[in-house]
Amino acid sequence: MLMICLTSVNDIRSDSQMLDDCIRAMAAGDSSGLAQLYEQVSPAVYGFALSVLKNRHDAEDVLQDCFINALGGAAGYRSAGKPMAWLLTITRNLCMQKLRERRRSLDIPEEDWERYIESIDRVTPEDRLVLTEVMRTLSDEERQIVVLHAVGGFKHREIAELMEMPLATVLSKYSRSIKKLRKHL
Amino acid sequence: MSKNKLESRIKQAFENATPDLLDAILQKSEQQKGKVVYMEQRKNRTAAMRWLTAAAAALVLCIGGFGGYSAYINLAVDSVIALDVNPSIEVEVNSKERVITVTPLNEDGKVVVGDMDFKGSDLDVTVNALIGSMLRNGYINDISNSILLSVDSDDPAKGAELQSRLADEINVLLQTDTFSGAVLSQNLTSDGELDALAEQYGITKGKAKLIQQIVAQNTMHTFDELAPLSINELNLLSSRSGVSLENISSVGSASDKAYIGEAAAKAAVLAYAGVNEKDITDYEADMDYERGVMVYEIEFNHGGREYEYDVDAVTGEVIRSDSDRDDDVYDDMDGDRDDNHSSPLKEQNTSDTAQGAQQNDSDGYIGKDAAKSAALAHAGLSVEQVKFVKCERDREDGRVVYEIEFKMGGMEYEYEIDASTGAVLKYDKERDD
Repeated sequence: MLMICLTSVNDIRSDSQMLDDCIRAMAAGDSSGLAQLYEQVSPAVYGFALSVLKNRHDAEDVLQDCFINALGGAAGYRSAGKPMAWLLTITRNLCMQKLRERRRSLDIPEEDWERYIESIDRVTPEDRLVLTEVMRTLSDEERQIVVLHAVGGFKHREIAELMEMPLATVLSKYSRSIKKLRKHL
Repeated sequence: MSKNKLESRIKQAFENATPDLLDAILQKSEQQKGKVVYMEQRKNRTAAMRWLTAAAAALVLCIGGFGGYSAYINLAVDSVIALDVNPSIEVEVNSKERVITVTPLNEDGKVVVGDMDFKGSDLDVTVNALIGSMLRNGYINDISNSILLSVDSDDPAKGAELQSRLADEINVLLQTDTFSGAVLSQNLTSDGELDALAEQYGITKGKAKLIQQIVAQNTMHTFDELAPLSINELNLLSSRSGVSLENISSVGSASDKAYIGEAAAKAAVLAYAGVNEKDITDYEADMDYERGVMVYEIEFNHGGREYEYDVDAVTGEVIRSDSDRDDDVYDDMDGDRDDNHSSPLKEQNTSDTAQGAQQNDSDGYIGKDAAKSAALAHAGLSVEQVKFVKCERDREDGRVVYEIEFKMGGMEYEYEIDASTGAVLKYDKERDD
């Protein structure tokens, strides 16, 4: 178990460097940078957007716009060793924008992701079970924290910063979420 | 399942569920540049485009503020100009009205400021750019058109001059083809309380001041509840519920396009009550914020009864209804909410409800005077000592009661008197602040 933990920490470190390289490549107009960045980061961006918006169309819009914004902003990107935080901040702002639009148009879309995930071939029955529980059992904030940590590889401290929450709150919400999920999975 | 296993299962599930939009992204980003770019040329063209855009942006700032390079800028803060819409932004300038810092105070503010660097720029240019960005980003539009400008300057004369000049400028910027803006502006001086509130809620002192005034005049609201509202909502709230804002100038009116409108709310209430419009009198409609939603508060009299409804301003649903025998005509105390009718209305009220009023003598209740005497006797005070602020008959838990409030020597007394027996059912006494 210790070995697994160590490798996953190392993975994240080298991931940051790799993501920085991708963004630099994007700034130089190299589209392979974007492709690689998308492969690495899109599950966290999409997962987080889905956690906030609970609607796959909106989450797809955010996923798309996040990378378009990242492309546009790549030239101005200054690495502080936190490419993931940069991308998820973009994601979060886009989600806020979506929520505002919804308030304006009074259009609160139905939660249709369940039917949708059944239609994707890649999603195994086991995946479906996990996704359903994450979406159903957890509160919005709990889900966002779980996705940032499990899918995005964020540390709890970084989540606290991103979500503007005290670290203790993040920690307690996370452990409560894991308990809830364990009961069902 | 172990925690690590669970985490990796979640990761895998989301990885498999994430759609592949890479092609769509590439296509859209090319479209946004408005040209088709061949793959092998993309590198040079896009890099060149970006340089051009950056150079153009730098140029704009230089022309506007002649000096993007602000090596010699005087860093002593002379005035602080705050803009609130829902984005909240503070601009600090020196005595020559050159920008020292621009600080977004919330997430929306960060979006508006983006990566623009205003240091050393002229204040007017900066305000112009910020308003432009708010319009572009959709923070000011036809359904939310209000902005609050607050100027905090050590020199009151200068503060007043800045306030009126910038308010005029913003007003001009907000006269668009599709809508006109509403500008609230004020000139304020910091005090400890305001600073603390602003800090606590992450809003500007200007917005804190605005909320403070609304809360002071409408005790139904708390600061906590109003702090997250946008300026448009606060503007609507104060203008539609009769709050008079001191030292705040207002130009234009707050948009209510996000809501169903008073006419629709009235129709919803009439349908709900099952009454005909021509049979109602003393109709009054306000907007208010209750239990987390904007509502239309609609009151009218019908057949000697007073009806009060709250209609959800977005959905049109009636969320609260209340009806009472109309005996306001007996209420002769100042400061009572029910007493605020202008006199013609009040006269009309009397004649319309004469029937109801006559019944009052023989309805088996003790009457307001007796109820007041009962409360005073309990408090050990005389009628000369106190100032009554409320005396209303109401139904509580199936029992008819008089609700009585009065003030004496910095204390506020609240009583509930049984309308049949005159017994004191409830009382409360607290410092009146």
